[in-house]
Amino acid sequence: MNIYFYIIRRMAYMIPILLGVCLVIFFLFNVVAPDPAMIMLGKHATAKQILEVRKELGLDRPWFSQYLDIVKSSFTFDFGRSWSTKQEIVDMIKNGAIPSLTVAIPAFIIATILSIVISMFVAFYRGSLLDKMTVFVCVALMSLSSLAYILFGQWFFAFKLGWFEISGYEPVFPQIISYVALPVIIWVILEVGPDVRFYRTVVLDEVYQDYVRTARSKGLSEKVILFKHILKNAMIPIITSIIIQIPFLILGALLLESFFGIPGLGGITLNAINSSDFPVIKAMTVLSAVAFIIFSVITDVMYTLVDPRIRLK
Amino acid sequence: MSERILEVKDLVVEFNTDRGRITAVDGVSLELNKGETLGIVGESGSGKSVTALAIMRLIASPPGHISKGEIKFKDKDLLKLSIEEMRKIRGNKVAMIFQEPMTSLNPVYTIGNQIEEVVELHQPHLAKNARHLKAIELLKLVGIPSPEKRIIEYPHQLSGGMRQRVMIAMSLACEPDILIADEPTTALDVTIQAQILDLMRKLQKELGMGIIFITHDLGVVAEMCNQVAVMYCGQIVEKADVKTLFANPKHPYTKGLIHSIPSFDSTSGMKKEKLPTIEGMVPSLFDLPPGCSFQDRCKYATETCRGMNGRPKLEMVGSDHLVSCFNPIN
Repeated sequence: MNIYFYIIRRMAYMIPILLGVCLVIFFLFNVVAPDPAMIMLGKHATAKQILEVRKELGLDRPWFSQYLDIVKSSFTFDFGRSWSTKQEIVDMIKNGAIPSLTVAIPAFIIATILSIVISMFVAFYRGSLLDKMTVFVCVALMSLSSLAYILFGQWFFAFKLGWFEISGYEPVFPQIISYVALPVIIWVILEVGPDVRFYRTVVLDEVYQDYVRTARSKGLSEKVILFKHILKNAMIPIITSIIIQIPFLILGALLLESFFGIPGLGGITLNAINSSDFPVIKAMTVLSAVAFIIFSVITDVMYTLVDPRIRLK
Repeated sequence: MSERILEVKDLVVEFNTDRGRITAVDGVSLELNKGETLGIVGESGSGKSVTALAIMRLIASPPGHISKGEIKFKDKDLLKLSIEEMRKIRGNKVAMIFQEPMTSLNPVYTIGNQIEEVVELHQPHLAKNARHLKAIELLKLVGIPSPEKRIIEYPHQLSGGMRQRVMIAMSLACEPDILIADEPTTALDVTIQAQILDLMRKLQKELGMGIIFITHDLGVVAEMCNQVAVMYCGQIVEKADVKTLFANPKHPYTKGLIHSIPSFDSTSGMKKEKLPTIEGMVPSLFDLPPGCSFQDRCKYATETCRGMNGRPKLEMVGSDHLVSCFNPIN
């Protein structure tokens, strides 16, 4: 089976999935949610004003054509303008993506590499004090709310020690670091806890497999067994977990961005939710759905590279 | 008499568990000569696999550890070697194959890679190309058809019998002095089982290695082995050459095992009425009865067996025939 053919076919599946996503969006925003005209005009609007705004937003048209609007914008990526800022949403996404990714990409790469290294290391010394302490620290890290890290980091490292800026963003090279470093560090801390715990379990699952015993009976050293035999088998679940996180990166970290004043997609989404800016929320929903589908295809393709038992059909 | 290559003396293996410490192997002594096959027979949990793993020093520690004994390979005590020295023995001088051919190979590497790996480790002077040729030769030796093509296949592309052949090829890669086979045919169906046994016998004749053959199947023992040790609850209860053991079993447990081999009445070609079994279950190692551990399942048990005399000791009852029983069968 040709891998390109597989990818094309999986991409074709995107169409019905996106139609479904549009249906959910339509149902949530045009049926369940309160009338946007009322939200925009506030409590003191007259009935006439409401009618005018509804007409302007196209809400007076039959539901089917409203659904088609959503479908159309999902496939053309033309979501119109934001209700609150009146900007083109496509431009908002373009502008927001760069600050988001400047935080997300380094944070994600550092966290992933660190987690894999730590989990291989503790799996090697499984059962030892070091292993138990690491698991304890991971659980402790996970148990604290992200707010605690954000507030403490801003107060201690930024305010008291003055190592970083408390909040804000400046897209010029050396300055950018002092804005981005703290959110990246906090992101890594938030991510390492659950990742190490998960990867450690995955590696330990492999440690007790029969093929590991065979490898030992051949006289291989523990290092070769861990890094050649176990790692490649453990990569299968690890890859899934890594790639499935990527779509969430694109949306940025909602809390981190808004606390650190980073004008990224997370902040945009949060503002849109606060101001009931429906077109922006819809755009972000579609964007994350598309990202999710694309990366799940990438996951499947990656599998075939690692595991010979998996053939794409 | 041929050369002695392995001598296990008073081996004790203990495991620490949540419910306390158990002695999985309790004072086992074994001998293996060059070119001969020693069978270790017993039910699940009798300690035969643990004995085998102990010889390879592959007991997972924790929870297990070898607390006493001596494992003399030629004139080296394997228990005194450093980990690095032991690694040079494993897969090289002493190799092992396992019960589970389906899971014993690494699923994400080709069989060629896995065979060449062991050659590379123990014969580093061989070039890459020579290793590859050697792997093909080994696959041919174990009867895998068109090995040049098969060598790039992954374990999941092979049947159970083929995978066990690959395991054998891998274990023979460095022409070991000893091959430990831990129930190598248990997971295979009967026709494949016969092929694998034939193959092992043929290879033993060609390469002259000693085999330790672990099984619960006395039928296979009769076919394969020169010497037999019967294990029960971590101890050897009877040890003899294969002919003596089958003709003249002294321990009631051995006798029970021999009687529970399915057989056909040669005159009618019909199966005999009902297969006799050994009543009861193997006692838990956590609460072995005082005295002989076989007492609860033994027709011949007397007060002596149930008493406070401890477990019976292995005693000589004939030339090279040892049995540990208070009332050996006459």
